[in-house]
Amino acid sequence: MDQQVHPKRGKDVISSPSFSSNAILNRKVIIAVSLLIVLIFFILPVLRLLALSFTGETGATLSHYSHILSERRTWFVLKNTFFMVLGSTILSITLGVILAGVVTYSDIRAKRFIHIFVLLPFIIPSYIVTLSWTQLMSSNGWIANVLQLFPGEIEPLDLYSLEGMIFILGLSHYPLVYLFTVGVLKKIPRELEWASRSSGASRLATLRRVTLPLALPGIAGGGLLAFLANLDNFGIPAFLGIPANIPVLSTAIYQEVVNIGPQAFSRAATLSVLLGGTAVIGTLLQWLFIRKSKQMETPHEDRKPRFSFGRYRVWVEAALWIFLLFISFVPLFSMVSSSLIRTYGLNFSWENMTLNHYKFVLFENDKVQASLANSLILALITAVTALVIGTIIAYLRINRPSSFTRFLEVVISIPYALPGVVLALAMIFAWMEPLPGWNPGIYGSIWILIIAYVTRFMILQVRGSVTAFMQVDRSMEEASHIFGAKGYTKWRKIMTPLILPGVLGGAFLVFLTALTELTVSSLLWSSGSETIGLVIFNFEQAGYTTHSTAFSSVVVFLLLIGIGLMIGLQNLWNKKVKNV
Amino acid sequence: MKKFRWIGFTLLTSMVLAGCGDNEGASGEEASISGTLSFYTSQPDEDANALVSAFNEQYPEVEVDIFRSGTEEVISKVQAENQAGDIQADVMLVADAVTFESLKEQELLLPYESEESEGISEEFIDPEHTYYGTKIMATILAVNTNEVNSIPDSWDVLTSEEAHDKAIMPSPLYSGAAAYNVGVMSRKDGFGWEYFENLKENGMTVVQGNGGVLQEVASGEKSYGMVVDFIVARAKAEGSPIELVYPSEGVPVITEPIGIMEETDNEEAAKAFVDFVLSEKGQEVSAEFGYTPIKEGIEVPEGLKNINEFDVLSHDVAELLETREKDKQKFEQISDE
Repeated sequence: MDQQVHPKRGKDVISSPSFSSNAILNRKVIIAVSLLIVLIFFILPVLRLLALSFTGETGATLSHYSHILSERRTWFVLKNTFFMVLGSTILSITLGVILAGVVTYSDIRAKRFIHIFVLLPFIIPSYIVTLSWTQLMSSNGWIANVLQLFPGEIEPLDLYSLEGMIFILGLSHYPLVYLFTVGVLKKIPRELEWASRSSGASRLATLRRVTLPLALPGIAGGGLLAFLANLDNFGIPAFLGIPANIPVLSTAIYQEVVNIGPQAFSRAATLSVLLGGTAVIGTLLQWLFIRKSKQMETPHEDRKPRFSFGRYRVWVEAALWIFLLFISFVPLFSMVSSSLIRTYGLNFSWENMTLNHYKFVLFENDKVQASLANSLILALITAVTALVIGTIIAYLRINRPSSFTRFLEVVISIPYALPGVVLALAMIFAWMEPLPGWNPGIYGSIWILIIAYVTRFMILQVRGSVTAFMQVDRSMEEASHIFGAKGYTKWRKIMTPLILPGVLGGAFLVFLTALTELTVSSLLWSSGSETIGLVIFNFEQAGYTTHSTAFSSVVVFLLLIGIGLMIGLQNLWNKKVKNV
Repeated sequence: MKKFRWIGFTLLTSMVLAGCGDNEGASGEEASISGTLSFYTSQPDEDANALVSAFNEQYPEVEVDIFRSGTEEVISKVQAENQAGDIQADVMLVADAVTFESLKEQELLLPYESEESEGISEEFIDPEHTYYGTKIMATILAVNTNEVNSIPDSWDVLTSEEAHDKAIMPSPLYSGAAAYNVGVMSRKDGFGWEYFENLKENGMTVVQGNGGVLQEVASGEKSYGMVVDFIVARAKAEGSPIELVYPSEGVPVITEPIGIMEETDNEEAAKAFVDFVLSEKGQEVSAEFGYTPIKEGIEVPEGLKNINEFDVLSHDVAELLETREKDKQKFEQISDE
């Protein structure tokens, strides 16, 4: 099999005579403007951060780097970060790919429900996931009780350890890999697999030489996102790593930020540059992987099972459901149960149960409803903005590969990889006075949140759209030209139906993450723009765990309804495309 | 400070707006104070809102914008605004005296002699009048009553056999209030760094903040916790199996000071707000929310002790500021051993 790097596509398209010079000019203007916007929005904050790391009390200096790199602790932190991110990313990819493969290709039943269950851990706030697992695994939790029935001294996994951090992070981020991989697997033509099998290749060889290379764009795209999410996550390493004395980059950066004194931010910025560098290396690695991926003819989505578990099906289904119930249900159950208990710390029994917390968050607290409305509007605006800009960038990235578009992709991935606190600080530096002496009032209004969200989550959309475009063989585009479809028609009739599911998947991810975002908002909100994450954070900080879990349960419930509607719409869409 | 806002967002806020615009015959000095006031605080949401509503009853013409977040987030935000060249906050109410001392050193605070400071002990007021303590938040010993048979009365219980692997405290590396406690206790006779070394040897667990400590003790995961008093009193009032102990050696106290920013755009309103928080009315509002008042003669909330009923462990604020980073490093070293 020859390895195909993306050929330079689109050149012949641009110069085809079917385009008027006007359209070319328009297109160039659109591209130029959108790139300018991207540069301003993404590079400005990152540059400010970079500048800060070289700023000392008396001007430019390398002293922060020389100090930090000569401290023994820094290397300890980097080592912990390396193992934590590596382990959790491998776990996320493994879980995501296996599940996606089984759900897409096998003959198991109730795939819709599996889909929803996979998404659950993604929408439950991560601090709740962590809390529930630690309760479950604690020395007097029920896992310990079950293990006592067995002979020997089996202890439950101590979550306050590097292994524990890897475990929880891997579980929290595998849905990213799953989502991207499912989309890709559905589109791999089964004929290719048949061809390989009938030429005498074994099932494994077919998997290795046909299916996996074709699925690589999705696996690598989802894997990269999982990697970045594992890198910048603060909540899980803070909850599990602080008691165990395992600092990683994100918690070490927070430590520097909370120091008093003028040098605090510079040191935090220096560590952030190290973290950003790690993110860039991850992106480069991902490109290396993608080089191995192949183009193929573009079929429609193929949802029919490709292999059967036969009489083992029931067993596989049982195993799968036990896994999903465990992973999704444990945190959910723990969350709902602590929201029903009268006060934190009482036993879970009838006389201690109450619906008061729900009554409080639904009817007695005016912030709750306001925050639901705010977060919905914010997440929608973010998702739509990202959808348009991110898809344009993705199209350029795939159809005009150049060092510039590669650079763009790297720059866009950095805000997603930085810890929320750092990004929020960078936003203040960049937007308080975008030009020295000119304060447009963006900072201190709702606009700063929108800018921050779009900047932070754009990469999710870019990855989603890139994956979608990589699956569309250029012959489709060329064919539409041969048959005389001009720009607009081409997009409306041919390209949009083909890329829409992938693009919408990206937008859906952006929407979900923006909806429950906390860390960035906690520094940038202003009165009147409270978000869901903030209200939960407020309850938590005031010591009302019961209120925060009740509100989280309400949010998860609403999201499930939302996802149900989405799936319904998707079904309608698929029918429509098939009938074209 | 021009605020660009969305219609609709403003409708949803709980802010009490005196949106009439023109003075409806209100008389005296109070009516002449108006405009917007940007208030940065780490108090829980509801408490901050109640304070502002009560303030607006007296000064209906002032529109107060609250920014509320975790202590560390609020301070980082102000420092970032300062570096970006334009501090947006007019009044700040967060954390501990050491944090304000640092702001004072950077010349970010405006000195103001409030007439309402009467009845507040000198030790809680900056001699240069750039900040005033607003409440008494003692760091106490929280005990889970299901797990512990005899209620202790000394900090030494944390280094005893009963508390082996059963005690928990917030990390000074992540929480300013916790750093203050470590700074004070490491300088006191009978404690010193040795005390923290013993805690480490006795398997003390360190978590990010006070909230985490409360949860672990309330759920019985841990039996003893070093934690700020008011959240424990709240949990106890709701029925959690938890008890507050003010150990006999004394307790470190943070005062959530309030201060006016040097660059304030609305000095008059800022001063009026500080006066109000320190006044009897303001102190009563905060006592209703379960904080020990700092002013004499205000009734103390149920379950908490009056400032006269326990000994306060304290230390020179300027020195604590100077050594804070060193104290943190020392604590980190002990944890690493």
